[in-house]
Amino acid sequence: MSSSFVETIELAHLPPSMPVHVALYRDVKNAASLRQQLISGNADFEYAFIDANMVLSRAHALSAVFRAVNDSINGRLKSRNVHSEIVFSFSPANNIAESFRKFGIADSTKDLLVIKVSMTPDVTHDSVATHLSQHVEGSAVPFDDETLSNIADVTKIKKAYKLGALKTPPPTQANGTQSDGMRQLELSVLGAIALRGAT
Amino acid sequence: MIAVGIEGSANKVGVGIIFHPEDGSTPQVLANVRHTYVTPPGEGFLPKDTARHHRAWVVKLVKQALQDARVSVKDVDCICYTKGPGMGAPLQSCAIAARMLSLLWGKELVGVNHCVGHIEMGRAITGATNPVVLYVSGGNTQVIAYSSQRYRIFGETLDIAVGNCLDRFARTLHISNDPAPGYNIEQLAKKGKRLVDLPYTVKGMDISMSGVLAAIDALAVQYGLNGEWDEKDDSADSAQGEADDGKPTRADLCFSLQETVYSMLVEITERAMAHVGSKEVLIVGGVGCNERLQEMMGIMARDRGGTVHATDERYCIDNGIMIAQAGLMAYKTGFRTPLKDATCTQRFRTDEVLVKWRD
Amino acid sequence: MIEEYQPPPLPPPFHHHHQHRTQSPATTTTTTTTTPPPPILLTQGAEAHLYKTHYLNATTHPAALKIRPSKPYRHPVLDRRLTRQRILQEARCLAKLVREGVAVPALYAVDWEGQTVVVDAATGEERYGGAWLLMEWVEGDVVRVVVQAWERAMLARFAADDRSPSSRRRQADGGSGSGPGSEVQMEVDGHGDHSDHGDNGHVERKREEERMKDLLRRIGAAVGRLHAAGVIHGDLTTSNLILRPASSKKEGEGEGEVDLEGEVVLIDFGLASQSVQDEDRAVDLYVLERAFGSTHPRTEAFFAEVLDGYRASYRGAASVLKRLEEVRLRGRKKSMLG
Repeated sequence: MSSSFVETIELAHLPPSMPVHVALYRDVKNAASLRQQLISGNADFEYAFIDANMVLSRAHALSAVFRAVNDSINGRLKSRNVHSEIVFSFSPANNIAESFRKFGIADSTKDLLVIKVSMTPDVTHDSVATHLSQHVEGSAVPFDDETLSNIADVTKIKKAYKLGALKTPPPTQANGTQSDGMRQLELSVLGAIALRGAT
Repeated sequence: MIAVGIEGSANKVGVGIIFHPEDGSTPQVLANVRHTYVTPPGEGFLPKDTARHHRAWVVKLVKQALQDARVSVKDVDCICYTKGPGMGAPLQSCAIAARMLSLLWGKELVGVNHCVGHIEMGRAITGATNPVVLYVSGGNTQVIAYSSQRYRIFGETLDIAVGNCLDRFARTLHISNDPAPGYNIEQLAKKGKRLVDLPYTVKGMDISMSGVLAAIDALAVQYGLNGEWDEKDDSADSAQGEADDGKPTRADLCFSLQETVYSMLVEITERAMAHVGSKEVLIVGGVGCNERLQEMMGIMARDRGGTVHATDERYCIDNGIMIAQAGLMAYKTGFRTPLKDATCTQRFRTDEVLVKWRD
Repeated sequence: MIEEYQPPPLPPPFHHHHQHRTQSPATTTTTTTTTPPPPILLTQGAEAHLYKTHYLNATTHPAALKIRPSKPYRHPVLDRRLTRQRILQEARCLAKLVREGVAVPALYAVDWEGQTVVVDAATGEERYGGAWLLMEWVEGDVVRVVVQAWERAMLARFAADDRSPSSRRRQADGGSGSGPGSEVQMEVDGHGDHSDHGDNGHVERKREEERMKDLLRRIGAAVGRLHAAGVIHGDLTTSNLILRPASSKKEGEGEGEVDLEGEVVLIDFGLASQSVQDEDRAVDLYVLERAFGSTHPRTEAFFAEVLDGYRASYRGAASVLKRLEEVRLRGRKKSMLG
């Protein structure tokens, strides 16, 4: 069985012993049961389950991962573990429960981004791929900017990051203007993730 | 060549005699005497009273210096005096003494910038060739570096001088002015442990001290630590220690004030060093005696792979020898101050002086 | 004891570049990124060390890493307070400016705690690793370098003209009396009376000067956008402006010309603050004016173009420029009390 639907990424500057495994799904049919596993605290389901409608791009998702793993390395986790911290790290605000409501999996979630960090050596690309293929009912799609741009709900994302005033993106503008607007939105989101909790 | 230097820009009057051997070898200090006008605790020195003090002492000090140096009047090449900056009346009393000696002995005058005096003496004593200079005293706070025959001011205080800030806080706490308020603050600060939050104002290479002073004064009042106090309480400053009620002690306040303002000074000095690419620092001026400041500067310099030069109280506190040293350097380049121009001025920027004696 | 200066060890997560030089190949992965190189030290300022590196992976996000090492000379409580305050101030300004659409490096990541202990490999000393900030890498040269290259090119091109017959004649006529290629010939303030001669050099020179003036107006506009967004830079110099080349460079145009096209990007917000006061804005401009004068004395006469660009860039610029006149008069404290 091919496990290529899981992408394993070594994030720059993070320890190479802690690669990140990512899978993106559309048409997920069992979001409610996945969420239930999470709520019941089943250790086998220790993942960051992200509502992919709230994900703008690869850099957006990986920035949240970077922030969470770095906070973990420095002993600064605000939530239970690095995976809940990833969901929290998507949020520009300090309320953990709210971050789960806005960015985490819901019963109605159809587009799902799953993230798992190898915090221990037994978590590998293959172990993650095997487990996900057994438990996620949906069609795996590539974790790339093109796919994400079809899934992302830009209006909702702008609202979640309080970036409504941003002049993005005039959909019909020709040559490059739109991508400039999207780029500004993405960079604004990265800034918000970086600065969460700064007082 | 031999020069007499007379300094009296603040509350010290000093006379020094320096000898520059003809062969260009190291200058020799032949005499360096000084008397300080000390006021009671809680009081600063006023210009009128300070000038009276200087007038009463300057002749005695000149005689003493000549005696110490074992030179006679005919050996002297020139008379150097502080032209400024400083307090008007004390400066005048010393300028008058210098003019009087010039006429009496038939020697030429050299008016010297007080700050340049500090720098040149510091260079001569420490052997620092081209350092970034931190000049810190009761009246001045400047970061200086030499370039194209000027001592250029890279950073300075935007309001009061660091020494003035310390002196005024000493007055708030009624700390003794003997031998110097800053010295006594330093001793008390050694017993301090807790750092209280104070404003920290660095703007580029400039700093501001007035906010720190206002804040620490307010804390002293808030905790009832201002005004006269009992000597016996001094032990309480140290003993209180851990059994605290969240209340800072007088020692804590002195400690916090020192830690905060000295950090500001070291920071702007480091910025100037990075800017001009220098690895040497020279600390001059009365506050330069402070051992904690020297220690902090030393750590900073070491981290940059550099060194710090400082002088002891004979040279960093205002003195006559530094005026003689800087004056004689200028004199050898042909600089003279004609009698009719031998005035003094309260305002005299360090960078106004053409430093003809350096490349 | 003078030793070669070594920057302090990098704080986490960057420190592991030193510890994990050799590593086992990654386990079975579909996409494996090769281990990226460690950050490269570019400059050591008094306050911060700047490294070139990348964010997320080695190709998509080239980045600048700014580290504010802890200062062992300071009391630890004060050190932590200042380090944190300053890195956050800078990070907040960058994030805000990106949202406002001002051309600055985007904020990627920031760690304001800086309290993780690192060990100096050379001395074995322990110290705090320091706070850090990762931001977008901006391609291009700083404006200081661009202007200096342009000044050199002008000197080279038009110094040659001075040896042309017409220019020799002018000198013989009792002009400036300066030799060929002298500085006087290179004053770019337009006083040189070239129009009498109608030579090609004059036209070309005018065109070159117009190109520089256009750059200077764009600089003014960039500062205007910054101020309009409510941020004061605090240290405006031509070293803190990068000319980011336009992505589609017109090849072949202007042989041997210094490229003055592109976007003016403001960098180094280490001393930045948020303010909309005329006074603060005027002082910001004044700092740039003085820095420009001392760094580019030959081009100083064109500085008015910067102010023109600024004037046109946002409402409120006019009153700031008025204030600038007062700031100039006041100058830096002209004298001081002893």
